[in-house]
Amino acid sequence: MTSKLKLLAATSVIPLAMLGANPAYAEGTTAGTDIQNDVTVSYSVGGVAQTDETASDTFKVDRKINLTVAETDGITTDVAPGETGAVTTFTVTNTSNEVLDFNVSASQLAGGTAEHGGTDNFDITGLQVFVDSNGNGVYDPGTDTATFIDELAEDASIAVFVVGDIPGTQVTGDVSGVVLTATAREGGTAGGAVGAALTESAGANTAGVETVFADGAGETDGARDAAFSAGDDYTVAAADLAVVKFSTVISDPVNGTTNPKAIPGAVIEYCIAVTNAPGSATATGISISDTLPANITYDAGFGVTTNGSYDSVAGTCTAGAGTGSFSGGVVSGTLNDISGGGNSALVFRATVD
Amino acid sequence: MKRLILTLAALCAPYSAIAAEKVELSSDVYVEKVSHDANGRKSVVLEKPLKVVPGDRLVFILKYRNVGDRTAENFVVTNPMPSAVAFQETLDGTELVSIDGGKNWGRLKDLRVRMGSGYRDAVPEDVTHIRWNINDDISAGSQGKLTFRGVVR
Repeated sequence: MTSKLKLLAATSVIPLAMLGANPAYAEGTTAGTDIQNDVTVSYSVGGVAQTDETASDTFKVDRKINLTVAETDGITTDVAPGETGAVTTFTVTNTSNEVLDFNVSASQLAGGTAEHGGTDNFDITGLQVFVDSNGNGVYDPGTDTATFIDELAEDASIAVFVVGDIPGTQVTGDVSGVVLTATAREGGTAGGAVGAALTESAGANTAGVETVFADGAGETDGARDAAFSAGDDYTVAAADLAVVKFSTVISDPVNGTTNPKAIPGAVIEYCIAVTNAPGSATATGISISDTLPANITYDAGFGVTTNGSYDSVAGTCTAGAGTGSFSGGVVSGTLNDISGGGNSALVFRATVD
Repeated sequence: MKRLILTLAALCAPYSAIAAEKVELSSDVYVEKVSHDANGRKSVVLEKPLKVVPGDRLVFILKYRNVGDRTAENFVVTNPMPSAVAFQETLDGTELVSIDGGKNWGRLKDLRVRMGSGYRDAVPEDVTHIRWNINDDISAGSQGKLTFRGVVR
């Protein structure tokens, strides 16, 4: 190794921190930036160092318009029949090299395959589009009211919400597909109305800043049109509840608990079982009330239990740990949420008069 | 009168020295546009940098010419990379590069960048300066061309 090479090796390890000052260009050099290249020559003549010669060349970076729209969570939005303000979330990203405004609009599929494989068979009513004004990624009614994206920075993303109502007549498995389209507009002024439409520079090149559309084709828009679109869908999942009520004789004053009969003085156990069909949406806020028939007396010692379980094959109930109430001849109680395929039961006892 | 002559002589001396040993230098930039025709044949065209967007490939051409009447020696061409351009390669491959703003120089393959407690090999995007040490003397009237590529960040 020559001494020169040794020197190179010795000095070739450079801390990265020194490079930290380099600007980051995640989405490219900002439009209008001058790129100036300087070159210097040093030389000697007859062993005498001469004045360095320099030359430079400058050009401007043009404006590259690009954007993406993506559905945010990757799954369909489960909704219930009659649900209002059902939200699907999209992310709009400005991959241009300039700050821009964006128009956002939603459209509905008219049949065909929706984003997550289902077949579109109904339309959302009252479809609206809102921008995540407070930047928390969650739709806040009354707060996220902007209907276009104002001044989205280079490389920045923002959430956009499509909000609508589900008709009450829809049933489990119904699917509604929606498409969000974002269109880049002129930026530069915060607030006020959305910026003017962009036009791609046509004709001969100039030395000034020109506009080039570089976006790809989205769900429903073409390539190089300053717009991008993506789809998402709503899938209706209703709860499908069934209720059975039956009674079992627990004991009578003559036979005890051995083959008891429903004679006066016998203890009867009532079970009100609720089942939610497999594949249905979780049922919430389930409350039960049952008026006691005549000629029996409520067993206050046993009380009312809720959140029990029901064996539909054996036809038996097991009392749960929750408690209900008895008042004015009516037994009542609320059950915990029942997911699809699950069940719950309310159990109480009475004696035959 | 005597004082005036002295002043004139002082003015003339440096002027004539520069004029006699002058080297001309120019820097030009072109955008490399690649297109494919209907048969899939690729063609590369160098255009003036009028429409340039991030990601475009640039070709920088440095031309030098010894317009003096004596041979130039120790000929060193230094080109800092514009900060918005990522270095790719030179045509001749004889360059030295710096990845620390011109403090230290070496062949790219010999340079390393600190990464936490270790190091990684430097890559072309790390380059901040390029330098050619042209060993051959540049005789009067002779000229040369140096070419390198970069990408708009």
